[in-house]
Amino acid sequence: MSKARKRRTFLTAVAFILPFFILYTVFTIWPVVQGFYVSLHKWGLMGKQSFIGFDNYAKFIGDKNFWKALKATTFFVIITTPMLVILAMVLAMLANRVTKMKKSLRIIFYLPSVLSVSVASFVAKYVFTPYRGLVNGVLHATGILAASEEPQWLQDPNLVWITISVMTVWWTIGFSMLLYLSALQDISFDIYEAAMIDGATSKQQLFYITIPLLKPTIWLVSLLQLIACFKVFGQIQLITGGGPGSTTRPLIQYIYETAFGKNNMGYAAAMSYVLFAILLVLSIVQQVLQNRGED
Amino acid sequence: MIKKKTPGYWVLNVISIFLAVLFIGPVVWALAVSFQIEGKQIVSVFDWFTPPYTLQNYPEIVMNSSVPTWLKNSLIIAVVTTGLTVIFSALAAYALAKLPFKGSNVVFMYFMLGLMVPGEATIVPLFITVNGMHLIDSYAGMILPSIAGSMTLIIMVSFFKGLPTELLEAARIDGASELKTFFVIALPLSKTIISTVCIFSFIGSWNNYLWPLLCAMSEELFTLPIGIPTFAGTYTVDYVRPLTASMVASLPMIIIYIIFEKQIVAGITAGAVKG
Repeated sequence: MSKARKRRTFLTAVAFILPFFILYTVFTIWPVVQGFYVSLHKWGLMGKQSFIGFDNYAKFIGDKNFWKALKATTFFVIITTPMLVILAMVLAMLANRVTKMKKSLRIIFYLPSVLSVSVASFVAKYVFTPYRGLVNGVLHATGILAASEEPQWLQDPNLVWITISVMTVWWTIGFSMLLYLSALQDISFDIYEAAMIDGATSKQQLFYITIPLLKPTIWLVSLLQLIACFKVFGQIQLITGGGPGSTTRPLIQYIYETAFGKNNMGYAAAMSYVLFAILLVLSIVQQVLQNRGED
Repeated sequence: MIKKKTPGYWVLNVISIFLAVLFIGPVVWALAVSFQIEGKQIVSVFDWFTPPYTLQNYPEIVMNSSVPTWLKNSLIIAVVTTGLTVIFSALAAYALAKLPFKGSNVVFMYFMLGLMVPGEATIVPLFITVNGMHLIDSYAGMILPSIAGSMTLIIMVSFFKGLPTELLEAARIDGASELKTFFVIALPLSKTIISTVCIFSFIGSWNNYLWPLLCAMSEELFTLPIGIPTFAGTYTVDYVRPLTASMVASLPMIIIYIIFEKQIVAGITAGAVKG
């Protein structure tokens, strides 16, 4: 290439990249840097107040509410992720069977995922409301629940976790199911045919062919869902507001309340780095596993 | 191949139907409630599904609430975000894939860093940044931060790398400018990848909750996800209005989803697997 053309190509490339570069730098990379700077200060909604070094980091170590929120988030992750990983596989297998309902099942299992978080939470909230809500209504109508019993799905500190977890599975499982479905469709039918000729039962086919071949997808879904569950916020804030008390308040909600409710941006930024660190480790593991899977 | 229909086949069918009912039940119920008359006596769960029905709730919500405004905001923000995402990402990806220049690798690495940055963890400094630009409570403030995503860029770079360079060379020899080559040759060849990016970006924007919650201060700028929860009064006993509003907000998406199910599913899977 001639020098003049090289120069022209370079300038064109710069012009093409520039809009993306600016937006990316300002709104993705800069906040990470800025966040650290903010975390070293006493910082309110109106702006910087004073430099306090690492005080904000020392603060959360002794902050009971912070640990409670981290514990609530972790608890949510532990009870929800396995359900998502396993049930999504079951749904995908059911929706992949050769039946007349194949297409309808696929559409129905994914349908809740189309709803926005506020609608999904709203519907769930009314579904779980005692007396006139759907869940208690159906449990009464089918006789599973005695007419005198009225479980408080939104108030009872134990039941409320079931509510949030079930709602999250219902609302978000479609995506994981799609990942399994596309993996299932990649498994060649020849393998099953060979197994059938050898007399393998469908149970054996499931445990010795399908599940082993789905292993990379199981890993991928597990990590993606771990990451997604750690970021839980919307549905909890909308269904319980973090309650009763602060039983279900997740980390992001505590950060949000600290920053915008208590006007303490510096402390909120410091706590954000803990969340950042957790998610960073998980996403590095995910990238490594995914790259290994592709090779 | 014809399989014999064993008892297991029917058992699995029953399980499938049971699960399908569980999944669609809440949506059907919400839809049924939206056709009920407010204040109806509910003794058992069946009363939600039995007549008398009314169609009045829908015009009531559309005429006497801000739902249409929020719907408009959601649409404008989603469409503009999607459009800018596609144009800016495609331009940058094309340059990185097809315009060789010194340092292009470094730029690509820099763009990959974003994969490690979860937006939820930088929400506080993002607010400070956007506030410093005086863009809080504006369309621009809600749109601009969601445009430049690493995932989209990486998907597009790997796609453009696969385009045959000869085609582009031919256009260049004919004297077409680089911009023209991009729009006339490269973009039309990338319809599939662009539709994937569009679907992703549109759904992401449509359902975005945390950022608009911070950024939209005045009610006229609310998007649907921010506006809908305002229907829940603190001591509300009414089911009909909130659930009707939820249906107004969701039916367009549900209908679009059912019509374009195949494309949407293909887009979501392609994006996740390639990303």
